[in-house]
Amino acid sequence: MHISEGVLSGPVLAAGAAIAVAGTGIGLKKIDYDHIVHVAILASAFFVASLIHVPIGPASSHLILNGIVGLLLGFAAFPAILTALLLQSILFQYGGLTALGANAVIMAAPAVLGHYLFLPLLGKSSKFTFVGGFLAGFFSILVSSLLLGAALWFTDQNFFKTSLLIITWNIPIMIIEGIVTGFCVAFLLKVYPEIIPVNKK
Amino acid sequence: MKFKTSLLLALIFVSIQASFAFAHKVIIFAWVEEGMIHSQSSFGSKRKARSCAIIVSDEKNNIIHEGKTNDQGEYSFKIPENIESDLVLTLDAGTGHKGQWKISKKEMASDPSINDIQAAQNKKEELEQQPSIFKIMGGIGIIILLASALKLFKRNDS
Repeated sequence: MHISEGVLSGPVLAAGAAIAVAGTGIGLKKIDYDHIVHVAILASAFFVASLIHVPIGPASSHLILNGIVGLLLGFAAFPAILTALLLQSILFQYGGLTALGANAVIMAAPAVLGHYLFLPLLGKSSKFTFVGGFLAGFFSILVSSLLLGAALWFTDQNFFKTSLLIITWNIPIMIIEGIVTGFCVAFLLKVYPEIIPVNKK
Repeated sequence: MKFKTSLLLALIFVSIQASFAFAHKVIIFAWVEEGMIHSQSSFGSKRKARSCAIIVSDEKNNIIHEGKTNDQGEYSFKIPENIESDLVLTLDAGTGHKGQWKISKKEMASDPSINDIQAAQNKKEELEQQPSIFKIMGGIGIIILLASALKLFKRNDS
């Protein structure tokens, strides 16, 4: 999911950066004082998730965890993901610095959307919470794949086949992320329900 | 209907190249030896970048040569003639993943010394290295520091 340096065209990079700045601004404004620690915990989880490799046939991928970050943080997922991506880029050389905005939008925008779509399912029962988590994890990777494909497609129309492959190839990751997110939120509901925003409303 | 679906799925999976990977780091490493430029490409130390495009260009971005990596992620070609420029080897692993390696004019003009080989080997190992625990802890530390700064800012703000 980390787009490298020199892949996307100028306008796509600029659009990505502008949306990332806007999303981060809204996110920073929306974070309330008591939840800053949750943002830091989830940003850290996102930061290390990419080190967990998932073998898929002859290739391999890694966990992303944008679903759980978005589900629990809403718009605050933008600054959390942007910071984690920046650190991954500097410390691990994952993705390119110029593509940071585009990468942040690809991973954070679906996460925020997942928050508004699936948060109402959380907290009702452990079954509903798991389903809500699964859907958020699955949906975030699905939409991230679509956005990644779109970014490549806007850069070069020949990328259409690649875009289709990205989505197809990411199906196992969607399922894995769905299961991981489902179990995580169901577990958090039991041991640390304060982190689930629905419980405070 | 079932047959059609199976056929479509089979076609999709067959069209996926073995090299197709959603890794986060793409590495190309190249060196000069006996008039040839050799390259090795991977998504990390053990995951070879198979059947990936290699594009060789000069300093002005003119494409000089193109090729594809083999099953071991390797690709070799003869040093192009009449080239008065450094060469940039770009590995295109698809799905937004690219890696680059530069071969200087000086490197192409003479065979490498033992020191050059050692320096290149060290550089390759450095590129392929997994992130150290210090970098991981350092990253988490920076996130905590930023969160503390935000907390301070929000407290003063309210």
